[in-house]
Amino acid sequence: MNQNKDQREDAELEDSHDESSEAPTAAGGEALDLEGLDLTVETVEERISPSETNVFDK
Amino acid sequence: MIQLPSNDFPVTLAFPPQGHWTQPHLALPCLKAWLHASGYGDVEQMDLSVEAFDHFLTAESLTRAAEKVQRRLPLDRFKEDRLPLGQMRAWRAAAESAASAESVIERVEAAKAVLRGQDHTVEAERGFWDPDRYIPAVRTLYHGLRLISSAHYPSELTPHNFTMSYSNDSSEDVLAATLDEEQNPFIEFYREQVMPRLIEREPRVLGLSVLYGSQLIPALTLARMVKAALPDCHITMGGGFLAYIGDKVMAAPGMAECFDSIVFHEGERPLLMLCEALRLGEGLEDVGSLAWWDRSDPDHPVAVKNMAAHPIKLDDAPAPDLDGLPMEKYFSPRVVIPYDVNRGCYYGECTFCTLPTVIGPGYRTRSSETIARHVVELRDRYASTHFNFITDCMPPGMIKDLPERLIEAEAGVTWWADARIEPKAYDADGAKRLYESGCRKLLFGFESATKRILKMMMKGQSLKSVVEVARNCTEADISVTFYAMVGFPTETREEARATLEFIEEHADIIREVSLQTFHIDEVAKTYKEPEQFGIRVLDAPGDLALYHDYEADQGMTQEEAAEMFEEMMASFRRNLAIFSGDNIFYFMQKSHYFLHLASGETPQGFSGRCADRTEARAQRAADPGLKVSPGLVTVPLDFSYSEAVRTLSDPLARAARPDFLTGRYVRDADQVAEEQLPPLEVKERFLLYDAENGEFVELRDGGARVLAALRQHGTLGSLIEAQRRGGASEAALDRLEQFAAELHRLGVLRSKTPTPTPSPALASAQG
Ligand code: SF4
Repeated sequence: MNQNKDQREDAELEDSHDESSEAPTAAGGEALDLEGLDLTVETVEERISPSETNVFDK
Repeated sequence: MIQLPSNDFPVTLAFPPQGHWTQPHLALPCLKAWLHASGYGDVEQMDLSVEAFDHFLTAESLTRAAEKVQRRLPLDRFKEDRLPLGQMRAWRAAAESAASAESVIERVEAAKAVLRGQDHTVEAERGFWDPDRYIPAVRTLYHGLRLISSAHYPSELTPHNFTMSYSNDSSEDVLAATLDEEQNPFIEFYREQVMPRLIEREPRVLGLSVLYGSQLIPALTLARMVKAALPDCHITMGGGFLAYIGDKVMAAPGMAECFDSIVFHEGERPLLMLCEALRLGEGLEDVGSLAWWDRSDPDHPVAVKNMAAHPIKLDDAPAPDLDGLPMEKYFSPRVVIPYDVNRGCYYGECTFCTLPTVIGPGYRTRSSETIARHVVELRDRYASTHFNFITDCMPPGMIKDLPERLIEAEAGVTWWADARIEPKAYDADGAKRLYESGCRKLLFGFESATKRILKMMMKGQSLKSVVEVARNCTEADISVTFYAMVGFPTETREEARATLEFIEEHADIIREVSLQTFHIDEVAKTYKEPEQFGIRVLDAPGDLALYHDYEADQGMTQEEAAEMFEEMMASFRRNLAIFSGDNIFYFMQKSHYFLHLASGETPQGFSGRCADRTEARAQRAADPGLKVSPGLVTVPLDFSYSEAVRTLSDPLARAARPDFLTGRYVRDADQVAEEQLPPLEVKERFLLYDAENGEFVELRDGGARVLAALRQHGTLGSLIEAQRRGGASEAALDRLEQFAAELHRLGVLRSKTPTPTPSPALASAQG
């Protein structure tokens, strides 16, 4: 694993909370309907435009 | 030589935003040194580009920006049931700001400290050398600029460009942009940070260096403000970009209200002549290479263009003078000193190239002895052993001679430079000597792997010699970068793919590629003799237009070339280590990869580390100890963020903005794009942002629920246990694990692992 870990932050993990009050919650003990949930993850790759590849002239 | 009391004739030279942020530009230091050597003792230089970046990237500016975004682009403004293209960019800015503003504000100072090597007193402990701290820091700064941009929507300021909704092609647009306080971030910056200093100083001459199109509006914005506040200050502009369009700027209505003159080509002699004339109260008729307004009738200034000045004898020119530049503000842990070894190009034949034209007539060089002497002087004066030799390319004689002189002078420096494929000069011994003299990286104009195209370009190089030179350099541990071009007139897709394949087949000797799309400006041979290249150049609307569209009977159209650019870049991202994953940020920050090489890393070692990082990330699995990253922010959205980004990166949508390279609009493009790219339908989505990681990730309702459950359970292991107890099937748990592994790869989930050991090169990294 190649991560930059700050142990202090990990220690704080227990208190961490979702910043958004609107995000859905799931009660601790409840079973999630894992088969029915849409677990799609989407990311967007940083797009490099033509001028940005010319970093040496600029 | 005239001798003046140093405060008799204050001159200020300024580099307006936007240029790159990692090292000083060369123009002003050369001009300052020349004026100084000619007796002008009070010459101040300001790098307003790096100052603006530094100013915008503070907690205070970003907080103000975030508030402004809240006011101008609140997310809940987009409550319709569809999101049309016209609103997509604004919505994206609003969504990103909502997710990232708080953490970017919190982290911006620390991020700057990492890039500047100011985060730790011990060199080897600095985050700059650790990709897992360096890359998040770079991202934080990029996202900070997105926040600044959103506050001035639709303007976009990045480390590589500045564009507005106004087109650089039209003087009316450009002048309107200089007055648009809502969209032009530099008006407030100048008013608060720059004008008070200038008003106090009252320079007699203000010289603005405009190298890039991205500086045109910011330069004129400042010029206009100074003209209003200090009517007696003569404002002159010069630099590469104005060598192309200076005549058009002088002919455009309204420009006389902003500045007084333009210097064409090399600035040393004209600027000195201008200062002399103004100091002695003489007319400007005899100032060489100057275009200026005769204001005899103040209501009707008349544009006058003088004869060209003689270029200077470069070997007599003093070393650049960097005094007064804000060295601590560059986003780099060490100053890389720019130094001009020559001007113009000794070869000067390539048919697409206009570089030798814009610097002024002829090719001139400093002698190797002078260069070595200056390098030692600059090294001692600025306490830096790193140099960027500024040259269109090094002539073969100098490739042989300069290393000897540098070694003889015990310069003990490292350097990088542009170069031309010269098989005789870059033989095995030559490459070794170059390395010994400190050369760590060379950038060659490769352009194409197709003989036919190379011939049309008149590159005068064979593929055999290209490989030979790159291999010799690589074997000497000099990193090789290739400039490559896609879309040269008549080039076919197959030919472009041949270039791609050639580069990738030689990925062991080509570490970086600077890929360009071909374009035509009015100085180029392709513009003047289009029939030779089988093209028809189209008229460009706009009184300041520099770039032209064209049509070809053969080969790719401009649009196809743009698509091919994307295809090639995507392939490089897969197949070149320094381009893979987020390692691309090393490539994007001029000189940063070089600094690794300068600190003892080899090109192969660095590429290996980049490849290992990408691989290690891909290998991240669903470890039971995984936890939600503590800084993770989740923002609910009404549309899909990734769909919006994909739509906006469609060539049709991109054409609706001023082009990144040329600052020019494609006319009616917004209408065409709006018709062809469907609006987004409402969808429940969640945007995740983790400052530590710095990438935006999008989840759907199900994913957000699992994430919330994970937070409550603390670790993935405990969530899986609970689900198992609750009767979840193995297949369901499998899905959960796959999801967790994916989020782990993206840094949304993290496991407790010790900080990775620093790379071997760090042991030798000295301050
Ligand atoms: S591309 Fe390079 S070698 Fe060719 S003319 Fe331009 S500067 Fe000279």
